[in-house]
Amino acid sequence: MLRLPPFRYHRPESVGQAVGLLGEHEGDVMLVAGGTDLVPNMKHRLFEPGHLVALKGLSELGGIREEGADLRIGAAETLSAVAASPTVRRLFPSLADAAGHVAGPQLRNAGTLGGNVCLDTRCTYYNQTEFWRNALGYCLKKDGTVCHVTRVGKKCVAAHSADTPPVLMTLGATLVLTGPDGTRDVPIRDFFVADGIANTRRLPNEILVEIRIPLAAAGRRAAYAKLRQRKSIDFPLLTVAVAADVDADGVVRGIDGVVTALGSRPRELTGWADLSEGRTLDDDLIDELADRAHKQCHPLENIIVDPEWRRAMVPVFVRRALEKVRAA
Amino acid sequence: MAGTTEVVRLNVNGDTREVGVPTHYTLLETLRYVLALTGSKQGCDKGDCGACTVLLDGVPTLSCITPVWEAEGKSVTTVEGLAGPSGPHPLQDEFDLNGAAQCGFCTPGILCSAAALLERTGTPTRDEIKEALAGNLCRCTGYTKIYDAIEAAAERMSAAG
Amino acid sequence: MSHKSKSDLRLIGKSQRKIEGLAKSTGRAVYTDDLAFPGMLHGKILRSPHPHARILSVDVSKAEALPGVHAVVTGADMPVPYGIIPWTPDEYPLCVDRVRYIGDGVAAVAAVDEDTALAALELIDVEYEELPAFFDPVDAVEADGSTPFIHDAKKPGWNGNVTKKVKLEFGDVEELMDSSAVVVEDDYFFEGTTHTPIEPHCAIGMWEPDVVDGAGHGGAGTVVGGSIAAEGAIEGSSIVRGSPPGARNAAASADGQTATASPAKASAKPGPGGPAAPPGAEATNRGKLTVWSATQVPHYLHRELSRVLDVDSARVRVIQPLVGGAFGGKSEPFDLEFCVGALAMKTGRPVKILYTREEVFYAHRGRHPFHMRYRTGCDQEGKLQSVDAKILLDGGAYASFGLVTTYYSGQLLCAPYAIPAYRFDSTRVYTNKPACGPKRGHGSVQPRFAFEVQLDRLAERVGLDPIEFRRRNFIGEHTRTINELRITSNGFLECLEAVERASGWSKKFRAMPFGRGIGVAGSTYISGTNYPIYPNEMPQSAVQMQIDRSGRVAVFSGASEIGQGCDTLVAQIAAEELGIPIDYVRVLRGDTDFTPVDLGAYSSRVTFMLGNAAIDAARKLRKLVIDAVADHWEVKSGEVLLAGGYALWVPDTSRQMPVREAFNLAEARHGALGATGSYNTPKDVHGEYRGGTIGASPAYSFTAHVAEVEVDPDTGVVHVKSIWVAHDCGRALNPILVEGQMEGSAYMGFGEALMEQQIYKDADHGRAGLHDAPSLLDYRIPTALDTPELESLIVESIDPEGPYGAKEAGEGPLHPSIPAIANAIYDAVGVRMTRLPFSAPSVWRGLNVARENGTLGKPAAPSRQGVEV
Repeated sequence: MLRLPPFRYHRPESVGQAVGLLGEHEGDVMLVAGGTDLVPNMKHRLFEPGHLVALKGLSELGGIREEGADLRIGAAETLSAVAASPTVRRLFPSLADAAGHVAGPQLRNAGTLGGNVCLDTRCTYYNQTEFWRNALGYCLKKDGTVCHVTRVGKKCVAAHSADTPPVLMTLGATLVLTGPDGTRDVPIRDFFVADGIANTRRLPNEILVEIRIPLAAAGRRAAYAKLRQRKSIDFPLLTVAVAADVDADGVVRGIDGVVTALGSRPRELTGWADLSEGRTLDDDLIDELADRAHKQCHPLENIIVDPEWRRAMVPVFVRRALEKVRAA
Repeated sequence: MAGTTEVVRLNVNGDTREVGVPTHYTLLETLRYVLALTGSKQGCDKGDCGACTVLLDGVPTLSCITPVWEAEGKSVTTVEGLAGPSGPHPLQDEFDLNGAAQCGFCTPGILCSAAALLERTGTPTRDEIKEALAGNLCRCTGYTKIYDAIEAAAERMSAAG
Repeated sequence: MSHKSKSDLRLIGKSQRKIEGLAKSTGRAVYTDDLAFPGMLHGKILRSPHPHARILSVDVSKAEALPGVHAVVTGADMPVPYGIIPWTPDEYPLCVDRVRYIGDGVAAVAAVDEDTALAALELIDVEYEELPAFFDPVDAVEADGSTPFIHDAKKPGWNGNVTKKVKLEFGDVEELMDSSAVVVEDDYFFEGTTHTPIEPHCAIGMWEPDVVDGAGHGGAGTVVGGSIAAEGAIEGSSIVRGSPPGARNAAASADGQTATASPAKASAKPGPGGPAAPPGAEATNRGKLTVWSATQVPHYLHRELSRVLDVDSARVRVIQPLVGGAFGGKSEPFDLEFCVGALAMKTGRPVKILYTREEVFYAHRGRHPFHMRYRTGCDQEGKLQSVDAKILLDGGAYASFGLVTTYYSGQLLCAPYAIPAYRFDSTRVYTNKPACGPKRGHGSVQPRFAFEVQLDRLAERVGLDPIEFRRRNFIGEHTRTINELRITSNGFLECLEAVERASGWSKKFRAMPFGRGIGVAGSTYISGTNYPIYPNEMPQSAVQMQIDRSGRVAVFSGASEIGQGCDTLVAQIAAEELGIPIDYVRVLRGDTDFTPVDLGAYSSRVTFMLGNAAIDAARKLRKLVIDAVADHWEVKSGEVLLAGGYALWVPDTSRQMPVREAFNLAEARHGALGATGSYNTPKDVHGEYRGGTIGASPAYSFTAHVAEVEVDPDTGVVHVKSIWVAHDCGRALNPILVEGQMEGSAYMGFGEALMEQQIYKDADHGRAGLHDAPSLLDYRIPTALDTPELESLIVESIDPEGPYGAKEAGEGPLHPSIPAIANAIYDAVGVRMTRLPFSAPSVWRGLNVARENGTLGKPAAPSRQGVEV
């Protein structure tokens, strides 16, 4: 059996304790929620922390509730819970849809929304065993000096591969992070950076405790479309999230689109607002929006499946997501 | 090499067990190699196949990527715990009757996923069955006989009330 | 063999629970990794990070010094080449002087636990000299020797990269091609795929040294056993040294490129060609070696362990726990089995090695990538005239079954259709990648794909419905193929009719809207091979049965239960023949110490051969019992029947006694009741040419598939909605298990058709020869949500030589899945898929080409559907 490296497992009773443990073992500690990504990565020896701090079961990280102007989802709520939550399904069906399409059933039972938001980037040259990576000669993201995807440059382009962040971005969600100096809010739009080695602004001593989605966004028509090879288990080859404000006359008043499984952060599509301004979501507009998405999205060989085809699928899946929006 | 060993307290198939385990053991390693509950299988090493599926408080869980400590304070049900003193679980019997287990290696995990499904809904549709099994790979059957077995068990269980 | 009609059979032909079924569904079933022994150590194997390199030195001293490490072995400890095919022994348990693929084993460690063993591997220093490597089979076949071949050439001037070349021609191919009304010609590519049993390979070795010769375990038995083995060895070794392998099997080495290799290092021991004699009788290691393994060939493992580890085969015991799937992937010895043996011998402790999933991908032995060119001609009426095939097989680093694969790539194509002229020219080459071998439908799935697509094209060209086209070319039953294989029963027409009816073919073919399509394909497969892997005249399968006073029957079976149900089969036969319930039969299985030899679960041989052996044993016992009862009742033996737990007098069945009493009467009369039964294949049925024995089978199964698909024209995603599979299995002895084999085969073919590929990085993508993705996440096998509805339709032709008329069902039903799906894609969108897999990107590219060419769209309906010739 593929073995885990040795570690001590800590189960703190509060977020405060958890933050304390992060400080105590600084440099040799990681957070684990569902463990569905971290544990395989540790088996691959991508991480060998001496200490793991468990977040599952912390009541502060649970709960799905409407409070103030937001829907607040505890970061340790499982993807299954998010997908099945009547509240989420009523307010933000595209989020329920995305959460319900992550991996397979058991992985959604363990994996959490917070974990999905903080998911490490993935690459065909990275998510492999120590033996395999050694035979490769390692890579920029871990233990090596070369990026085998671009073969030039010193920037890791491992793919952001999570399903829920694009949807959360189109819904204008905010992430609540707690660290030794207190709590701060980060709009999810500002959370990701274009660095495959560490693609979020979460500091090592911070914990994502909550995801807040403005209830005002519940009025948006939102949809999510995912491309993968199998109908279960697989990571996305492409994820498209779109949301639009459409007035009573069917005129678009605002529109957002996010595509992921390209580079190291989700790509917010640009130029959509100008195109849509004052128009209805008819076939022409959908085609123009899809075409604009196509121009902006360039899948890489960080995922082993034919990048040319994946690129061609961008407008197809954008179109499909927009058609869902129109039908909503 | 083996890291530190600590005592973990588990409730497995109704029995409370306290055993020393290396702190980096998974639940699967603990079940198979410490508690000798070898029914749960290891197929892929890392959460890709579902053969190691057990129920944690009734929820299908991949024991090969679950640190053993996550099972503390929860009830663990393995394939060995599905049968009662009076005989096998209807699912277990129907798997046999319907030829749903060929090599049998994915069977323990599939049974756990199926048992959780039947706890949720007594009369699952075939699509619901497929969804429930979508994280369990079977290489022998093509799944058809597995669906037949689950449907037969569901019928038997609802007939029995 | 005469067959009872269905009404006379009580258990045969009716679905039965598997005897280990409840054990499997309750978690009690024991597989190899479920075993543990006191003091057991854990082993790990160090693997090569290079695709092709010389080993300059291996330093294990630091590893040996690590606390918790008990032993380290390297290639130098086991320098005896082996190979499943006796003529091509080209691999070592651990590499001796050269590594040939990324993942090749170099050293093995036994330690107190896995973590310690892994730490020890990191302390082993191996110095390599990297060599240029071959990854593309075309490069390998064109190699001129300017860089080292992957294996040394057998003769100067030969290409050491070539494992095997076979060229056979039957009839006048060129003349009939020229006179054909229509000829189609295309290139096809079948990507490599692997078996992916859910259970990874696992083995445990245990060594019991003789403290005093003959006085260790077994006492007197050991002495007697030793003397018997010694006699056999004298004869055996003289054959090996003095004469070439038997004439018939010499033919199997065809061009001689791979003819008898007697490696110098092994010359002191019975060589690989070692015919019938038990190997290793001259062995110097005195003790008893037991190896538990997830193998589908315990007998061959037994022989090779003895030879390689230098232990008398009478002192080697192979135990096969239940096997968690195999599909051909566990059908030859693997490094871990030798390593646990060697490490156990060195440490005196039991040693277990369990492969990681990654290692299973490196062990491989899966489907060969085939580069194929086919030219096929037919006349105006659609009658096939001539078939010409040229095939390049990408074999990977070792020969494995490759000699046979090369023959099978051509030999198994000549049914179910009559082909007046046929030629194939096949070459298998080595490449620096994990070795290919036999996967379900060994060697014949790839050409079947190409050929059945060619047939679809021909049918279209002559304006015939493709089912009608196949019907017209039916070869018939009790006939010979163009390559002289003997066909007996043949239910192919019934198979075609069954899938045609069940699928609603006539309303769907060329009649559904664009994007939806339906396709058909047919095939044949062997029910075992007439000639065993190593030449010998002994039975291919045997069982022993004994009757107990309790009314119970014990069956000792060496057949390999890999999930297909052969343990249940022998129980069913014993119960049928002796008139007892199945649960009165105990099957004692899978242990070479007490079960007679069965050659293994491969070539779809088990039901046919084991079934006949079981019938033989059971009928001998039945006769003893019936004679005793008849005597007791003072009636004729022919009037006594054993059935339903009773012995009955047929003229007046009120005269009866419980079968247990009948058994007791028989035991009182005859003494202890036991019988052996065996089956051997006909040896006079094969082609009269070099290689004509390969592909010869006592009976052939036949299959037809119809697949219905939806193709998304925007994405190229193919959704296979349904597969109807009709299979002529002779007689379905246990129908639910036959259906399971049919559905599982169709599933596996479907996976290969749409998504599976065992492929490697190239120099532009990381590192050449590095497995693309050795995990069950990235090597995608279909989930429940991907898998089509599978409908199995059993066809029973009642074979004259099969047990109760049965033939194989385990591999044949896979073959047509792939071409049926390809043909359905064509019907849906007008795109011919000639390369596997039909993944979305590949289909999307095909759609784009068709768009450019203006050929995208629904193909035209046949102009003369169902015309009588």
